[in-house]
Amino acid sequence: MKRRNFGQLGIGACAGLAIGSGHPGGWLQTLAGELASQEDRWLHSDRILVVIQLTGGNDGLNTVVPYRDELYAKARPKLGIPTSDLIKIGDMGLHPSLKQLDGLLSEHRFMTIQGVGYSAPNRSHFESMDIWHSCHTKKDRTQSGWLGRMISQQGSSSSDSPVIHLGSEPLPLACQEKGVQVPSLASLEQMRLKSKIRQGGDSDLQSKHMESDRGRSEAGSLLDFVSTSTVAALEVSQRLETILVQPDATGDFPKTGLGEKLRAVSRLILSGVKTRVYYVTLDGFDTHANQPQVHANLLREWSEALSAFLVRLEQSGQQDRVLVMTFSEFGRRVSENASLGTDHGAAAPMFLAGPRLPRIIHGQNPDLSDLEDGDLKYQIDFRSVYAAVLDGWMHTDSRKALDGDYQALGQALELFA
Amino acid sequence: MRNLETIQPNQNLSEIDPVIAWSAWEPSSQEPWDARRLRHLMRRGGFGAKPPEVQTLTNGPVSNAVDALFGKHTAQSSEAFEQESAQIASGVRSGGNIESIAAWWLHRMLHSPSPLIEKMTLFWHGHFATGADKVKDTELMVQQNQLLREHALGDFRKMVHEVSKDPAMLLYLDSATNRKTHPNENYARELMELFCLGEGNYTEQDVQQLARCFTGWEIRRKSFRFNPYQHDSLTKKLFGIEGIESGEQAIDTVLAHRSMPTFIAGKLVRFFVCDEPNPTSEFLEPLAEEFRKSDFSIEPLVRKILSSKLMLSNWSIGKKVRSPIDFMIESMRSLQMTTNLDRLSKGLEGIGQALFNPPNVKGWDGGRSWINSSTLIGRSNLMVDMLKDPATRFGRGDLDAWLKSQQVSNPDQWLDWLAESLLSVQLDSSDKQRLLSATEKSEVGLDRWRKTLVALSQNPKMHLS
Repeated sequence: MKRRNFGQLGIGACAGLAIGSGHPGGWLQTLAGELASQEDRWLHSDRILVVIQLTGGNDGLNTVVPYRDELYAKARPKLGIPTSDLIKIGDMGLHPSLKQLDGLLSEHRFMTIQGVGYSAPNRSHFESMDIWHSCHTKKDRTQSGWLGRMISQQGSSSSDSPVIHLGSEPLPLACQEKGVQVPSLASLEQMRLKSKIRQGGDSDLQSKHMESDRGRSEAGSLLDFVSTSTVAALEVSQRLETILVQPDATGDFPKTGLGEKLRAVSRLILSGVKTRVYYVTLDGFDTHANQPQVHANLLREWSEALSAFLVRLEQSGQQDRVLVMTFSEFGRRVSENASLGTDHGAAAPMFLAGPRLPRIIHGQNPDLSDLEDGDLKYQIDFRSVYAAVLDGWMHTDSRKALDGDYQALGQALELFA
Repeated sequence: MRNLETIQPNQNLSEIDPVIAWSAWEPSSQEPWDARRLRHLMRRGGFGAKPPEVQTLTNGPVSNAVDALFGKHTAQSSEAFEQESAQIASGVRSGGNIESIAAWWLHRMLHSPSPLIEKMTLFWHGHFATGADKVKDTELMVQQNQLLREHALGDFRKMVHEVSKDPAMLLYLDSATNRKTHPNENYARELMELFCLGEGNYTEQDVQQLARCFTGWEIRRKSFRFNPYQHDSLTKKLFGIEGIESGEQAIDTVLAHRSMPTFIAGKLVRFFVCDEPNPTSEFLEPLAEEFRKSDFSIEPLVRKILSSKLMLSNWSIGKKVRSPIDFMIESMRSLQMTTNLDRLSKGLEGIGQALFNPPNVKGWDGGRSWINSSTLIGRSNLMVDMLKDPATRFGRGDLDAWLKSQQVSNPDQWLDWLAESLLSVQLDSSDKQRLLSATEKSEVGLDRWRKTLVALSQNPKMHLS
């Protein structure tokens, strides 16, 4: 498989290069060597993570169905997916809307991780989403998230932002951290300025001005924030101009919200932008009523966009460096409600796609006879999945990003052979 | 007389005595009642001052300016305005196009003699968030909007009761049916979490019990109806209180919860005074007390906030990020600018504030979340679009005539005029130099006058209030 050379990564004055693993010496030098090589791996890595957030609480039980369990049909007389419609993977069956993923399944490039959640599940959208973003379950969470903290620790070797959010919803908490600027792009085209007013002529002048503002502004931190954001926005706009003047080679993508977002991500990846993480969302999963059609449509939107994205990457030989991770803030209750829908639940599956993965289904099938308050119990803490992805795939150190040590748990999952 | 109880602009909220913060502001030699302060009040309490009213209101006492927000002491006829607004409404109501309904509301924000009522309606729209895309009925959305306007400064408890039976609200929260055997928890949860009490003031059991109280509440043929056959009539327990039966009783019980006045006061402080930090319950206590004292009438609470030292001293300058509507409507009011409001409403949607379609049931987060790479570029682009739009007028005429009427004849004067009218945090001399040199040459479709306004839109200070 060919790997394209995306140009020099700024190696910089990385003293760690001098300390190889074979260097003799004491404990401190070995430790320094380990740290230096982790930083190396981050700087040299060209691996990309795409996070797809399914907003609203995806009904995991109807996405990956334990069709052999008679309790399923009992709990969902109207909402249960007929066994004959399911795409069978052993004891479990995928919702028929996911048929686009057939190719990925046969190549072992799609994995379901079952029973992901956290203890004392929170069934408020906003609170649970905050928990998935900040990795804190306590009330005193800081206004920062795992990807924002990752940038704060790892930095970047290029001027391209390490994380980009594509979407018109507010910047997800996951991407936030003091001193970190993650661009939020509603679309690539909308980032072009309709009137290019050269204020002072160069960005040096902008930043000098910002510095003096910081010193004497009455308004303090809000003005700082808006000033920094303005400079960043103008820089991103300029950068995108150079990309958007080139023809769009992304090809066929479904004309859906998520399809457009993943098309934009593929355009950025293929144009050589050095961004490492892309964050996108698909909303609408809060299916309290009339679930069957709504859920089927959303799952189809997700699987078609995901499939088109990975196919496009494969056409350019890029599919082994991009991992797509899909999650939702909670699953839904096992029993259906009286409005042909389901209410907020707890544990649910997460999904990985892209590179070859060691297995198709990870974790135990859900136990419908052992519920907590009518909800599925979790087996895997979501932070261990994050840790596995950050440590094992992205080559970062997950401890700072997650504000906690889930490294051992992450490694134990053995998601990346 | 020296006022010893002043608030210093660089003080943290935690360093300020709440009793002082919420007491009435009085002019002094250090903090005079002048045009700048008046504009700040009109910006925060409404959508900005129109040029003719600045002198009049600066010459009178502060209370006149506050009254002006409520629509009192104004030369403008409210009858004539309501007639004009009703005409526009009848033209768009049956059309079913939500952008046209949004345009109708933008017209009210621009021209209403009571800007505070429109601003409060906007506040309640974000608070009792309901999205037209899901409701799929523009008539019901207009109805809800009228409901919010009617109660905007009135009895909060009455408003909650009426919103709880509002068809658009119940449709939005999937609560158009709520059956005895499988109670629907959606409205119950949002009533407590988002509308009345805030997170952490109720338990999951409370949600389940409250959902039972609402069983039998339905929407049939676009109106509320109570279906006794679907109603669970056994008694329920809420917050440890036994013997609650009906939905109405349940709402009264929620409203009587001790955290309610603080929660509402906190939301109003965020909306009017400062985006951050979130004030503590102790800090909000004088306001919560006012709210209780007035039997939960909103007007006295809002009046107290707008007249307060915290609001009117220099402390609150620059402490809020301008929303998309603030950014455009305040600019338009100051410039007496009119334009194609349908296009404006689409443009506002593009930069994050689609009227009648808040992003989710929590409304608009506001504050820093208004600002990101897309929205900043978008704000500048929207200003360009509006300035280039053939429908745009300034004081019902062209820009040149209007500039003459404001006695502006050169770019220097123009920039000063714009800064005085539009900015809360003022430009410094290097800001001015850069803006003037950046707009030396016109470009296609943008003369120097328009270009200056666009350049200002790319300056961070334009996005603070």
